[in-house]
Amino acid sequence: MFAITYRIIFLYIAAGLVVVSGLLIGTLGLPFGIDFTGGSLTEVAYPTTMPAQSEVEAIVSAQVSAGFSVRVATDEAGRPAYMIRTPDLSDEARASLTDALTALADDSEITRFTTIGPVIGQELRDKAVWAIGGVVLIIILYVAFAFAGIGTPVSSWTYGGITIVVLAHDVLIPTALMSVLGYTMGAEIDVLFVMALLAILGYSVNDTIVVFDRVREKLVANRTEHKTSVTEVGGLVRETVTYTLHRPYDELVGEAVQETLARSINTSLTTSLALMALYFVGGSVTQTFALILLAGVLAGTYSSICIASPLLVAYAKWRNHA
Amino acid sequence: MSAPAKQSINTDTIIRLFRAVVVLGIIMTLGWWVWQNTQPEATHPFKLGLDLAGGSHLLYEADTSGVDPQDVPELMAVLRDVIERRINVFGVSEPIVQVEQSSFVTDTPIERLVVELPGVTDVSQAIEEIGRTPLLEFKLLDEEILAEQEALLSLNSLQSASGSVANIDNVRVNGEPVTERSPFVDTGLTGRYLEGAALEFAGQATGQLANEPIISVRFTPDGGQLFAQITRDNVGKQLGIFLDGELISAPNINEPIVGGQAVISGGFTPDEARALAQNLNFGALPVPISLVSTQTVGASLGAEVLGKGIQAGAWGLGLIMLFMVVWYRVPGLLAGLSLSAYVIMMLTLFQYIPVTLTAAGLAGFVLSMGMAVDANVLVFERMKEEFRNGLSSRAAAHAGFTRAWSAIRDGNITSLLSAIILFWFGTSVVKGFALVFGIGVILSMVSALIVTRTLLMSLPEVRDHSSRGAWLFGTGIKK
Repeated sequence: MFAITYRIIFLYIAAGLVVVSGLLIGTLGLPFGIDFTGGSLTEVAYPTTMPAQSEVEAIVSAQVSAGFSVRVATDEAGRPAYMIRTPDLSDEARASLTDALTALADDSEITRFTTIGPVIGQELRDKAVWAIGGVVLIIILYVAFAFAGIGTPVSSWTYGGITIVVLAHDVLIPTALMSVLGYTMGAEIDVLFVMALLAILGYSVNDTIVVFDRVREKLVANRTEHKTSVTEVGGLVRETVTYTLHRPYDELVGEAVQETLARSINTSLTTSLALMALYFVGGSVTQTFALILLAGVLAGTYSSICIASPLLVAYAKWRNHA
Repeated sequence: MSAPAKQSINTDTIIRLFRAVVVLGIIMTLGWWVWQNTQPEATHPFKLGLDLAGGSHLLYEADTSGVDPQDVPELMAVLRDVIERRINVFGVSEPIVQVEQSSFVTDTPIERLVVELPGVTDVSQAIEEIGRTPLLEFKLLDEEILAEQEALLSLNSLQSASGSVANIDNVRVNGEPVTERSPFVDTGLTGRYLEGAALEFAGQATGQLANEPIISVRFTPDGGQLFAQITRDNVGKQLGIFLDGELISAPNINEPIVGGQAVISGGFTPDEARALAQNLNFGALPVPISLVSTQTVGASLGAEVLGKGIQAGAWGLGLIMLFMVVWYRVPGLLAGLSLSAYVIMMLTLFQYIPVTLTAAGLAGFVLSMGMAVDANVLVFERMKEEFRNGLSSRAAAHAGFTRAWSAIRDGNITSLLSAIILFWFGTSVVKGFALVFGIGVILSMVSALIVTRTLLMSLPEVRDHSSRGAWLFGTGIKK
């Protein structure tokens, strides 16, 4: 199986991707949107006469002294619009701002207005962290539990641990893409992004588990069980079970990957088809969401084939040497 | 082949076909229901979130710091009713007013009020109307604190009179700085005990010349009792009447007032007094609230998002079905049917639970279609192997379902666990997504394990991979 044979190359590629992603996130930063930072967002459409950006900026600066941005955009119906981001506005400031903006043209329309208080933003951030942390914890526990007793040559906790390593890879890459999108296109991290990350977590684990499940099946079919009973002091009988594999571990893992390969690719294909429909046909609200998920699904497919199982083999070999 | 054996095969085939027909019938009925409910005046229409229907979403935070935690739920319910009454006054169809609590990740629970106004895009007016509702409080003057403060003041004036620069400003009583304490103490009597208010003119009752506009308020029976008790226990003291935190008047309690009537006077103009009486009638807020976030989506924008979401769903469904048929042929076609069943079952639940559909929910649903065929793919890949290894098509299908089960189970259980955690931690938007995600996981399993399986078992059997018709059960481009 190529993934096992050339595992060093694949693992280096993955490590490279992770390092590049980390560097991108580190240098470009994460573009947190007002969902998390608090603030106001106003989208005003000017279907016929688009006022000059400087005019709009002058209006905004009359209400907010600093920390605002005005960006040319198009609304959902494809009409020219301005997207205005400001710090949290007071009621009066908001009213005078919208009045002044709509006065610029007769057919202007406020198509979107959102204000998020700083407390809500903070709470949302805390919740996101808790939710992601909670999901990761449950996953590692479940994998360790579901694969308990898998025995030789690596323990079920290794499977759980590798699942988490794979998760980190699958989440880092879309996050780096978010950094890039934020830097180049002004995309922002909102609640949808957190949902995308959580969906990626679920997808990635599912993908990895399917491969590990096949590994388990191969191990069970190709081993002999040895039971030894030791009578301890006090008449307590302790039974230990050990296994001998009839075939090399890396060969079995390789076969497991081989046999789940078509499934991994096909499921990622159907999911990608749905996401591409969402990206190309769906509304602009969920476009970034679709793109981030697409990156996550592709990363998840790569990792379940070229990271999870190669890591298993690499770890088993390293332990045997150590 | 003997006659009885043939007989049993026939009954067997009939049972299999019958099951398939039943499953298809159920799905088609559900589909018809879903379609019915998209028609005007349906009993269970889809519930669209504000981001799809257009409208405003306001989030208020209630200040419950001065309230006994036990009373908070009741007070929030009263607050909810009051706000709802006020919204109904300016005629919004199907407004939603909900009490929400901040989750336990925050240090202290914060009570919030969610106000959703479908169709209202001029949010300024709504905010103003809701915000104008006054908060009425009755507070007793604590003469001890007042005396302390006055003593401090006179002490300081003596100090400055004697030419000393030093000011005494950090006197504490029970650890609290005297100057920062309000001399007025909560009595627990607030606007929530109010039954009605009316504009009157002072002197009217006694037949004197009517001059100063006043507001006479009538308490509920409970409020009347409380008021009687307060006035009975505090004869000779001053009772402060506060409106939105500001002292309007502080009449002396001359005698116990029974009968549940009180009068507010505070130098109002007739117009002010009339507006105040009206506002009090529509509901004085039991606790103060402040606006913490608003969101407005134009109606045309919402419709656009909805239309595109539906289109994306249709494209997604079509592309996935096409891929499944091209790759898995006959079983793929059945998987396509099963995917349609999944979509129909989801839509039925959306209508009957009902789940509020948002742009995020729609996106999650489209995504879930891609993942819903996963169980089918797992089974078909397994089935293909068994078929190649010489089993008949039906035996291969059996083996496929049996052997793919552990992978389907483990993968779906982790997804389900994540959905539960999301639901637990999430804000309302995330909760909606988690619910759709969780239901999707369960229904995708149902559709694969019941619908696909039943349909697959009803197909005529192909003996092995070298028989005629085996191509129909193959995969990929090659035979």
